[in-house]
Amino acid sequence: MSTKGYYGRLLEIDLSTGKIEKTRIPDSDIRHFIGGRGLGAKILYDRLRPGTDPMSPENILMFMPGPFVGYPIPSSSRTCVVTKSPRTSPLEKKYDHSSTLSYANMGGFFGPEIRYAGYDGLLITGKSEKPVYIKIEDENVSIEDATEYWGMGTDKFDKIFHSRLGEGRYESCYIGPAGENLVPMACIINTAARAAGRGGTGCVMGSKKLKAIAVKGSHMPEVADLKRYNELLKKIRGSFMEKDDSVMNWRYGGTANALSSSSGNGTQAVKNYGEGTFAEIEEIGTEANRKKIWKRDFACYSCQLACKKSGLAKGAYGAQIVHDGPEYETGTMLGANLMISDLNGLHKLIYDGDDYGIDIISTGNTIGFLMEAMERGHIDSGFLDGIELSWGDVESSLELMRKMVYREGIGELAGKGVKALAQKIGKGSEEYAIHVKGHELAAWNIPVGSTYWAIVYSTCNRGACHMNGGNSRGQDGACLRDSLGACSFASSWYKDEVHYRHILSAITGLEWSEEEFNKAGTRIYTMEKMFNYREGFRRIDDTIPEKFFNNKFTYGEHSGAFVERDEFKNNLDNYYESRGWSKDTSRPEDNILRDLNLEFAI
Amino acid sequence: MEDTITTRKHSRRHFLSRITYGAGGLVLLGSYGFSITRDNKNGVIRAISVDFEKCTGCRTCESVCSEYNNRVMVNGEMLNGLSNPARSNIRVYHFNPDVDIPSTCALCEDAPCIEACPVEPDPVTGRKALYRDDKLHTIVNDPIRCIGCQSCAIACAEKRAGVIHPDPETGNPMFMCTLCGGDPQCVKHCPYDALKYMEMPADRDLDKLAPEKLAQIMIDKFYNV
Ligand code: SF4
Ligand code: SF4
Ligand code: SF4
Repeated sequence: MSTKGYYGRLLEIDLSTGKIEKTRIPDSDIRHFIGGRGLGAKILYDRLRPGTDPMSPENILMFMPGPFVGYPIPSSSRTCVVTKSPRTSPLEKKYDHSSTLSYANMGGFFGPEIRYAGYDGLLITGKSEKPVYIKIEDENVSIEDATEYWGMGTDKFDKIFHSRLGEGRYESCYIGPAGENLVPMACIINTAARAAGRGGTGCVMGSKKLKAIAVKGSHMPEVADLKRYNELLKKIRGSFMEKDDSVMNWRYGGTANALSSSSGNGTQAVKNYGEGTFAEIEEIGTEANRKKIWKRDFACYSCQLACKKSGLAKGAYGAQIVHDGPEYETGTMLGANLMISDLNGLHKLIYDGDDYGIDIISTGNTIGFLMEAMERGHIDSGFLDGIELSWGDVESSLELMRKMVYREGIGELAGKGVKALAQKIGKGSEEYAIHVKGHELAAWNIPVGSTYWAIVYSTCNRGACHMNGGNSRGQDGACLRDSLGACSFASSWYKDEVHYRHILSAITGLEWSEEEFNKAGTRIYTMEKMFNYREGFRRIDDTIPEKFFNNKFTYGEHSGAFVERDEFKNNLDNYYESRGWSKDTSRPEDNILRDLNLEFAI
Repeated sequence: MEDTITTRKHSRRHFLSRITYGAGGLVLLGSYGFSITRDNKNGVIRAISVDFEKCTGCRTCESVCSEYNNRVMVNGEMLNGLSNPARSNIRVYHFNPDVDIPSTCALCEDAPCIEACPVEPDPVTGRKALYRDDKLHTIVNDPIRCIGCQSCAIACAEKRAGVIHPDPETGNPMFMCTLCGGDPQCVKHCPYDALKYMEMPADRDLDKLAPEKLAQIMIDKFYNV
C-alpha cells in the first residue's frame, strides 16, 4: 500500500528490449519529492551515470504527472517531462556529454489519463529500431509500429492517430518532424497545440524512435480524507466561480495580455533583446487577435481560466490556418523579437512551429540572433544558403525554421541554437547569443527589473528559463507547483485555507506544515542543482549574456536601461548566500544537503 | 474526410459506421437542448441546453456529474465520490479543428432506446427493461430484467446522441442522464455558463444530436473551413 493520493507505481518501458515493468516508488521518495518534477529529478539523479549522453539509450524520458493530476482540482492537469537535456553544456566540460537535467511541463488531458491508467509516471528508456508508439490501457501496455506516421506533422497526426486507436477516449502526446530528425530544440506536443516545449524533450523522444504515447485509464487514485477533500474542492471551485477581473482577464486574452503590458513595461524581448518595447505591439496583441483571429477559448482539464484561444488566420501565406495562439511567449519570440508585426505571418510561423514540433522560444531566439548577425555584417546571405534575412521578414523566418527542422544546409547548425552558431561565426558574436548554459532565453527581457530577471535566467536548473523564480522562495514555489502538477497561472487563488498544502494533506492523509512544504520545494530545487553540479556546472555557468551589460535600450520609456555588472555580481552573491551555497563554486554546503535529507548527494 | 474532421474521442467507434459527415440541411440555433423534462399540464419542455460557443472543453461538467452520480456513504454521511470523468453521464467530445461538444441523454420523446428494448413489458408496471421514470422522465434500466443485448445502445448511437455505453461485463446500458434528481450538477458547476436548464421548443430535431454532426456544424461556424 502506498501513500494515499498515489499508486506508488511507475510504468517503465525499455524500447531496446521491449521489456515492460511496473515498479514501486519508495514512500520516502514520495514524501520528500512529492511527484512530477521533483520525483523526476530524484529518479534521474539516482539512475543516470554522470556524463550520460542525452541521446543514448540510457537516458530516461519521464512523463510525470503530480499528485494533484487527475483530480478535478482546478487548473491542475500538468505533467512534467523530465530527462537529461540535449541542449545544455558547462563552460568547462567534466564529461564529453555534460549537461543539465531538463523539465518541461504541459497541460491538457494527457497527465490526468496517465493517473487514470494507474501510474504516477511513465519512464521510457532504450531505443527502438523502427518508429513506434506506446499504447497504454490500464494494465495493458503495448509497443506498436508507427512507421506509417513517421514524418507526419503534429496537426495531421493528431487528426489521424485518434481515429485509429479504437474504442475509448485516449489521450496522447507526440513529436513532429523536428523530434524525428533529432533537432536538438525539438519539443513534445499534445492536442496539436500544447507543448512540453523547452529543453529538447522532443529530441530525446525522437532519439528513442518514439513517435507517440496514447493512454487511457479507468481508475482514480484514492484520497485519504474524502470529506475534507470535497470541502476544499468546493471552496476552491467557488473562489474561481466569483469570476473577478483576474479570472475574466485570463479568459479574455490569456498570456497574450502580457504582449502589450510587458512591452509597455520594457520587459519584452524585442530585436534580439536589444530593446524592451516594441512600437508595433498592438498589431499582434490581444485586441488585434480578438478582432481578427480568435474564435473560441479553450481550457485544460477542470480549468476555469481557459487561457488558450483558437482562431482562424485567413489568407496568411496562401493558407487558412486554424490554430491556437499567439501566447505571450510565441507572440514575442516569433513576433516582437524578430520585429514581426504581420499578424497573419505570425500565425503562420506559430502554426508551422507547432506542426514541426519545435521549441518556438529557442527557434525565435535563434532567428533573432541570425538577424542581428546579418545586420552587424558578421554573416552574409551566403552563410544562410542565400536567405536575405532581415528584421521583420516573415518569409525568410519561415524558410529558416523549415531548414532547421529538416537539417538542411545552415539549418543543421541553427537547430543546435545560438551557442553553436556563435562558436562557428566567431567575430565576437557570442556577446549577443542570448542563452545561458546553451539554452536560449525566453520572452522576458532582463534590463528593466534586472534584480529579478538576471537571477531567474542565470541560476535556472535547465539553462535559461522564464518560469524559474528570481529568488529562492519563488524558485522553490515553482518546484512545488511543478511537482504537484498545478498550473502557475492559477496559483494566486490557492491561498490561505485552500493553500496547496492543505489539499495535499487531505489527499495523502499526511499533514503538511508550512515549514515542511516549503522545505520540500527547497529540497527539489537543490536536488536538481546537485544533478547539474555532478555534471560539472559551476558558478561561472550561472551568468547572463554579455549583451545585457553592454547594450542600452534606445526606444520607449525605458530607453537607456541596461544591467550593471557589479550589481548583478552582488545579487548573485546574495542569492548563493541566501541558499547556503558556496559563492565560489555554487555548490550547496554539506550541512544544507544534510538538513534537506540529501546526504546521499554529498 | 479523415483529414478535415476527426473525432479524437472515439468511444462510439463501432456504432458509427453508418453516420456520414456533411452538414447539409442542418441548422443550429446557437444552443441546443439535450435532457428534457415535460410539464405534464401544458406540454412545455424544460431542457438542459448547451451553448457550444461558450463551451471551452474543460470537462468540469464530467467531473461533477461523476462525483454526484457515484456518491458514497462515509461514516453515515453521503459524500460525492471520486471522479474519473469517464464515469460521467455527460461526455465532452474533443475534435480537431478545435471544438468541444458536450453530449448527454436527450430524453427523446419517442425514445428509440426504449423502443429497441426487446424485453416484454411487465404486465403490472408496463415497463420493459429500459423505461422512463414517471417523475423526471429520465431513462432508467432495470438490471434484473435486462438481458444485456445492447439494442438500446445501438439504437441511440444510430439515431440520436449515442450516449448509452453498454457495461463491458453485463452489457447493461450505462450513462443515461439522471438529471441529478432534478438539480443538474453540470449546469450548476459549468464555469463558462455553457449549460442552462431552461424552457425550449418541444419540436426539436433530435437527429442532430450526434457529436460528430454537431462538431461539423461548429467547425463550419467557427473556422469556415
Ligand atoms: S463544464 Fe461547461 S465549459 Fe466545461 S466542458 Fe462542460 S459544458 Fe463545456
Ligand atoms: S435514444 Fe439516447 S438520447 Fe434518446 S432517450 Fe434514449 S438514451 Fe437518451
Ligand atoms: S444532469 Fe446530472 S446526470 Fe445529467 S448530465 Fe448533468 S450532471 Fe450528469
